[in-house]
Amino acid sequence: MSLKIKNLSLSIADKAVCTQLDISFNPGEFWGIMGVNGAGKTTLLQTIIGLPNHSTQLNSDSGKITLNELNIYDYKRLELAKNIGLMLQEYEYNFPSTVLEATLIGRHPFINNWQWENKNDKTLANKALDAVGMASFSERSVNTLSGGEKRRLNLATLLTQNPDYYLLDEPVNHLDLKAQLEILSLLKNIFKQKKQCGIMVIHDPNLAYRYCDHMLLLYDNGQWISGKTQDILTQDNLSRLYHCPIHQLNDEQHTLFVPLHA
Amino acid sequence: MKLKKHPLIFLSSLILLVFLSFNFALLTGSGNLSSQEFFSLFFSLIDGTASPLHQSLVFELRLPRALAAFAAGALLSIAGVLMQVLLRNPLADPYVLGVSGGSALAALLAMLMGFNTLWLTGSAFLGALLSIFLVFSFAHSQGCWTISRLLLTGIILASGWGALISFVLVISPPEKIHGMLFWLMGDLSYDRPLLPSYLILLFGFIFTMAISRQLNILLWGDIQAGSLGINIRRLRTYIFFISSLLTAGAITLAGSIGFVGLVIPHLVRLMIGTDHRLLIPASALMGGALLIIADTLARTMLSPQQLPVGVLTALIGVPLFLYLLKRSQ
Repeated sequence: MSLKIKNLSLSIADKAVCTQLDISFNPGEFWGIMGVNGAGKTTLLQTIIGLPNHSTQLNSDSGKITLNELNIYDYKRLELAKNIGLMLQEYEYNFPSTVLEATLIGRHPFINNWQWENKNDKTLANKALDAVGMASFSERSVNTLSGGEKRRLNLATLLTQNPDYYLLDEPVNHLDLKAQLEILSLLKNIFKQKKQCGIMVIHDPNLAYRYCDHMLLLYDNGQWISGKTQDILTQDNLSRLYHCPIHQLNDEQHTLFVPLHA
Repeated sequence: MKLKKHPLIFLSSLILLVFLSFNFALLTGSGNLSSQEFFSLFFSLIDGTASPLHQSLVFELRLPRALAAFAAGALLSIAGVLMQVLLRNPLADPYVLGVSGGSALAALLAMLMGFNTLWLTGSAFLGALLSIFLVFSFAHSQGCWTISRLLLTGIILASGWGALISFVLVISPPEKIHGMLFWLMGDLSYDRPLLPSYLILLFGFIFTMAISRQLNILLWGDIQAGSLGINIRRLRTYIFFISSLLTAGAITLAGSIGFVGLVIPHLVRLMIGTDHRLLIPASALMGGALLIIADTLARTMLSPQQLPVGVLTALIGVPLFLYLLKRSQ
């Protein structure tokens, strides 16, 4: 089982996101994607799940994305949703719903038309809420949540969907320091135990270094590098990525990247 | 929020409300009855001992009118729910994309030319369809349609229709103006075919129930819904056409009655939340009941003078809505 990107070239409004991208995402791996603002990280995630923005140009003649050797565009959408899930960077919701209802939408691909969620679905949703520390919020209205609580809710929805591949768009955005560590170690454990795979857009190189075992860096001219985190996250690569000098500090236990003045 | 836990009790009480509002509509009318006469009339109608005059008054005049009011209210309420999902905006109503404008223009033209009721309803329906296709083809021209593009197209076309309607009103002879204004504010007083509207209502209701869980998810945005396995483009097209068809059915039946399609979905959401599997049937029942009550009041309050039912829906709906809004805080 694997999710593969083969020879993919993507651009948004004539600006290259990646040229001839080749990557294989495998079960149990936790990938980090880094790049400057507007590099196309979100676009790449949306393309992987088969929902490219209409301004995205997909050079489909050369590249393709396959899940278990089958092109993702040949999957039925519901079938794909059982395998790949996406946590959005942000959402806007203007209607009264409870946290539990919002979490349960993750079960949609698994429930037939005309059927309601059963006990098992509700158990999964409650477990997911518990895992992200939102168990006591299940009857709260989603409109009353803070930014960080909304992120946790989105993650709970994705955990309820329980796909093989988790596409995560800045999942720890808006979270406090301790919560960032809790959520990332939760994800890391899940991927390891359930042999699932995470593909996460993240801005903090220190968190990426700590939790991701593989990295993809998208440079702003369409070039990219990927591989094991220790090989990719170096001060040279990061300095090139962000166009500013970044210094690496090491002690016995930690590696830290510190941006210097540009 | 407690009602949410008991959806069946809630729906049953709404069915009871519909039943009571039918009773109210059938037994109330010009010529005031005391409550004792009211009940004796009710039972005599049931066991068939009522006078032939009462029988025909109730079953040939009031019943068709109450049935029309129920259908129009239910159609508008479901259409309102759908339009609010399509535009992901709780402030949308069935008329926001200009469906009523095209329909009203066609109906007024039919009145101006002195066509009979059948032609009038027919042209109102065709006008609504024309308006739907205009909005769809303009908003859809680049193969994709964003919410803002759809809204912009609809609002622009609606103002175009509005200008043409004013034009027709100005050039119409004075003796026809009264009927036209009545139609524009919602009018259930003339005789009309009921079957087409009920077929549209039945079809629309079943179809909407079939996609109701997808509606819940679409509210979270296109990308989220797409990632959960929903074919966004197809679903949006379905919602657009179904809600427009329902609106066209309602307008054809009763003219453009305002307020129902906007306020009923909100009212029901305040009571039971946003789950469309419950929201849609509840809105249909509530909207139907409200319109029956409003129409009965419209024809009796100042009798023999009749009021446009749109005036009554707002007079009942506004305080009810404000009360629920205040209570839900």
